[in-house]
Formats: sequence, C-alpha cells, structure tokens
Amino acid sequence: MKEKLKKGKITMIIIVGLVCFVLILVMSMQFKVVKQTDITSIENMREAELREELANWKEKYDEVDSKYNETIEKLNEYKETEKSNEETEKVIDNELEQVNMLLGKTDVQGKGIEIFLRDTEDEEVPKINADDLLVIVNALKLAGAEAISINDQRIINMTDIVNVDTYIKVNGNRILSPYTIKAIGNQIYLESELIGNGGYVDTLRKSGHSIEIQKKDNVEILKYNGEIKTKYIE
Amino acid sequence: MNQKITTSVVLGLMCFALTLGMFIQAKTVKGSNIVVSQNYEENELRAEVLKYKEKYDNKYKDLEKAEQELEKQREISTENNEELTKKQEEIKIANKIIGLDEVTGPGVTITLNDSKLDINSVFDPNSLVIHDGDILAVINELKNAGAEAISINGQRIVPTTGIICGGNIIDINKEKVGTPFVINAIGLPEQLAGLNRPGGYVRNLKEKHLDVDLKQVNKITIPKYTGVLTYKYAQNIN
Repeated sequence: MKEKLKKGKITMIIIVGLVCFVLILVMSMQFKVVKQTDITSIENMREAELREELANWKEKYDEVDSKYNETIEKLNEYKETEKSNEETEKVIDNELEQVNMLLGKTDVQGKGIEIFLRDTEDEEVPKINADDLLVIVNALKLAGAEAISINDQRIINMTDIVNVDTYIKVNGNRILSPYTIKAIGNQIYLESELIGNGGYVDTLRKSGHSIEIQKKDNVEILKYNGEIKTKYIE
Repeated sequence: MNQKITTSVVLGLMCFALTLGMFIQAKTVKGSNIVVSQNYEENELRAEVLKYKEKYDNKYKDLEKAEQELEKQREISTENNEELTKKQEEIKIANKIIGLDEVTGPGVTITLNDSKLDINSVFDPNSLVIHDGDILAVINELKNAGAEAISINGQRIVPTTGIICGGNIIDINKEKVGTPFVINAIGLPEQLAGLNRPGGYVRNLKEKHLDVDLKQVNKITIPKYTGVLTYKYAQNIN
C-alpha cells in the first residue's frame, strides 16, 4: 500500500513537471513572436495608418521636389553671375536673407494666431510655468508653425524655456504674465492643435487660467534679439 | 481510491485549461497573419507607400547632389572677394545651426528606455515608460545647458521639430521612432552632463526606475535634417 502510493506520487510529479515544461516552451515561443513584430514597420499597419503614411510621403516628396528645383535655380544663378562680383552679391544676399529667416535673425510677418495667457488670481491654482509654455510651443510646431515668439522672445532652434525661482526664462530672458504667444502658419491647424479634444489650452482653461486665441491676417514676429553663437559644432 | 479520483480530476482539468490556452493562442497568431497578408486594399496601399518612399528617396539623392554642387559653386563664385567669402561662410555656419548640415563635436549621448521593472509590481504602469513629455523636457534641458545641435534616433532637431507620442512610438519630424531613444547633443560635455546631477531630468528619470544612461563623448556626429525647411506663410519684413 505504501509502495503503491509512492509510485502514484512519482507519476504525478513527472506529469506535472512535463506539463509545466510544455507550458513554458509555448510561452517562450510566444514572447519571441511578439518581440519580432516591429511596430514601426509598415507591414503591420492598418488601412487608416497606411493612408496617413501615404499622404505623409506624398507631401514629403512634393517638398523635396520643389526644394530641388529651387536649388538648381540658385545654382544656375551663381553660374550666370560668376564673372561679376556685383551680380554675385545680389544672389548671395538673397540666399543669406532666406537662411537668416530660418535662423530667426529677421523680423517676419504672415497669417497666424496670437494667444493671450493670464495667470488665474486663485492662489491655490499653480501658476502657468515653463513646462506649460513648452507644451504649447511644441503643439504649435506640430501644427506647422514657421515662427513663434513668447512676449517678443523669438523661439529659435536653441531656445530653452525654464523655471528660475518664481519666473520663467526664455532665451535666458525673464518673462512675466500675461503671456502673448504669436505664431505664423496655417491658422486652422494652429488653433485646432491647441483647442481640439484634449488640446492643451482646454487643459489650462479648466484649471482656471484665462486664455484667448485670435486669428490674425498679419502677425508680426520680432527677430531673436541676441547674437547666435556656436563654439562646439564643426 | 478517493484520492486517486481527485488527483485525476485535477490533472484532467489542468490539461484541459492548458490545451484551451494553447488553442486560443494558436488561433490568434493565425488570425493576425491572415489580416496582414490577405487584405487586398491594404496591400495595394502598402505598395503605393513603398512607391512614394522610393520616389522620395531618389529625389532626395538628387537634392543632396544639387546642394553639394551649389555649395561648391558658391565657393567658386565668391573666392576672389573677401566680403563675399565672408557671406559664403555665414551661410555655411547658419546651415549647421538650423540643422541643414551634418555637424561634429564633443557632447553627450543619452539613452532612454522603458523601465525593466515588472509592470505588475507598481501601482501605475504608465510611470514605467518614456513619454513624449520626458523627451521634450530632456531636449529643453540640453538646450538650457548650451547644446548647439541635437538628434533623437538620428532625427535632427530643427526649428520646426515637434514631438508627439502615439502609443508606444514617438513621432519626431513626422518620422516614427521607438525605444530605446538615443539622444545625441553637441556642446560642452561637462555642462550637458549636468542633466545627471541631483535635480537634473535624467537623474529624476533614473529615480523613477526608468532605464536611463548618460555618457560624455569626445566626438560625435549628428546628421542633417532629412526633410525640407521651407516657409509658406512667413515673410521677411524689410
């Protein structure tokens, strides 16, 4: 009787062990399959995503195509004016002006929006801080903004927006509430990125801050008021 | 006898549950394969996407060639005049700052990855993954520390770069990138490494058990922007 029980126990242990082994094997196989699926690959995209991707590539192609034509045109201009310094100067000045615009070293104007932000007087609600402005600037960039400023501080490629004590510093300059954020670009895109479902302006408004957005046909944005210096890039 | 029956019943139930689980899984895997390979419309779209991607790639190569030629021609056209040479240099430097040209220099490499902790071990699993806000904050702090050029997984940060989170991938310059996020920045390495100091953002992420690493490097190369920067709405005021 004792021996029989032992035998039964051993068989049971072996069976349970085998079952566990198979289970683990299957699980590890699955993990492998899941790991292999690359989420950024187009093989795994669904119809809506694919349509978006296609539109994206079409737009990018058009941009590159027109940039290519522009570059060839410039190249030819330089070739044609090679013999005359005066003529070359006109071409290079033109190019310099374009580049300076991208840098933020020129005053610019165009269609866009102006956002007016004012801290709530409710002492218990946290004040608008650098992180809030950073999120708004990022949203404007996502919506295709071509030029942005906060209280006339131009946002350039190296701009930082940080909290220092109880103030916000943009480009190292202190700014105070009320904040005026200007952006040039497609007005509908700019506005809807901010006030759409879950848009950041809605979030700020709910916490009690006063926010107003105005579409303007002519938004003027000042140039970066410092010197843009580099020391480390080659 | 009674014990034997109980054991058999338990074992039988276990086997049944196991087989059931396996079947469900096998079916799921099969099912997803069918969707991927047999939806005609999606395949058509996929082919179209690839076609445009190729068209873009070819045009982009042409553009790169044209830009190199333009740079050479600009040098030739301006070489016999000091003032023009200066302007030519100015354009070159500006292109590096905006991100339209590749740059090299000293700096830091920051790697951000989701936490290795088990998601069941914490109250809020969301706190174990890197979000777009984290990347935005790291980039902002790098700029504050004087970074002159920054890239994320090879995507150069240009004046119009926006960052958005979509599920477990992040969109940068309209390109999708996934974890781990490798951020390269050029500037004074000791200063950029300040993100690692107590109170710095990288340190904060580390304290939240995210898999974060910061290394100072003597020389890194940051690629140029792979898109096109042209403004349609903004105009210079003369």
